[in-house]
Amino acid sequence: MAEDLVLDTAIRDWVLVPLSVVMVLIGVLRYFVSKLMRSHQAPDLKVVKEGQVILRARNLRAAAGFIPAKSFRSRKTYFTNEENGLLHVPKGQAQNAQAQMFSDPNLAMDMMKKNLSMIIPQTLTFAWVNFFFSGFVAAKIPFPLTQRFRGMLQNGIDLSTVDVSYVSSRSWYFLNLFGLRGLFSLILGEENAMDDTQRMMQMSGFGFDPSRSLSAEKDGIDIIQHEWALPKMEKRAEDALKKLLK
Amino acid sequence: MAREGDRGASGGAEDDPPIFNAENLQSNIKSIHYSRTFLSIIGGVIAGIWGFTGLTGFIFYFLVMAAASFGLAAKAKFSICTYFDSWNRIFLDGIFGGLMSFVLFWTYPLKTTFW
Repeated sequence: MAEDLVLDTAIRDWVLVPLSVVMVLIGVLRYFVSKLMRSHQAPDLKVVKEGQVILRARNLRAAAGFIPAKSFRSRKTYFTNEENGLLHVPKGQAQNAQAQMFSDPNLAMDMMKKNLSMIIPQTLTFAWVNFFFSGFVAAKIPFPLTQRFRGMLQNGIDLSTVDVSYVSSRSWYFLNLFGLRGLFSLILGEENAMDDTQRMMQMSGFGFDPSRSLSAEKDGIDIIQHEWALPKMEKRAEDALKKLLK
Repeated sequence: MAREGDRGASGGAEDDPPIFNAENLQSNIKSIHYSRTFLSIIGGVIAGIWGFTGLTGFIFYFLVMAAASFGLAAKAKFSICTYFDSWNRIFLDGIFGGLMSFVLFWTYPLKTTFW
């Protein structure tokens, strides 16, 4: 049933390779453009302060075993005290911070720019692919798929008896879109790949971040049980020395 | 992939609650990610040149990933807890991300159509 179509090498030379090359180049270009366009915001004092408080609280949680119980308790009250504890954010104020952040024009412009720099190259490339490269079989994907994928993968091809493995260039575009993410993370170094989903998650969570993480830290400190590790240290040193001497 | 010596992620002072040096852990995870991505690309090209199709190709991919996991475990001298926080990091992380790159580079040199 699977007749083996032999595809012209000209297709490979003039469709597949240029499309991939163009996508890689556009990715690189977008990376540099986003680097240039990133407007440097002066860090807000309040936000930095809250970040540092969170860091201190985290260190306290992690190293609770090293300080005696009384100092731990006093630090804990300092952080979680209802009236003036650092981590306690009254409800009204929390909402306000988020609303203010979203209406702040600078931040909104930044997010818009990042969004656009994601969406525009993708749209343009997709339109280009559709215009120039439609109506013929572009590639053969190596694994068999069911008939239901036919409408998705063989968009420009109007023959209904051709095997579903022979796809149009639109699906080659999508294959490239997903497959080149890994390549980008190798070339552009350190996760600057096309993580558009990650970036969108990051952006939507940005307004919430300060107040929610503060209350999260507060809960964490409230939960923790203090267990002083120092009395055990002598025993542990003895064990370690014994192991060395064996 | 220098992950010896100074890259140990867990502190030696505690063995009940393990403390992780976040920076080293992060860098170890990154090096796993890079090596997996690279291997999936190369594996894709190899699978295409050798002409694997269908299920064989996927089995080849998982074989390559398993070999990569084994190599990484061997490099970490099989004591995972000094370098990572859990076994799952080495074995499962990045497998499905690499799958897409594998398929992309597998389609390129496929023998039955273009050569």
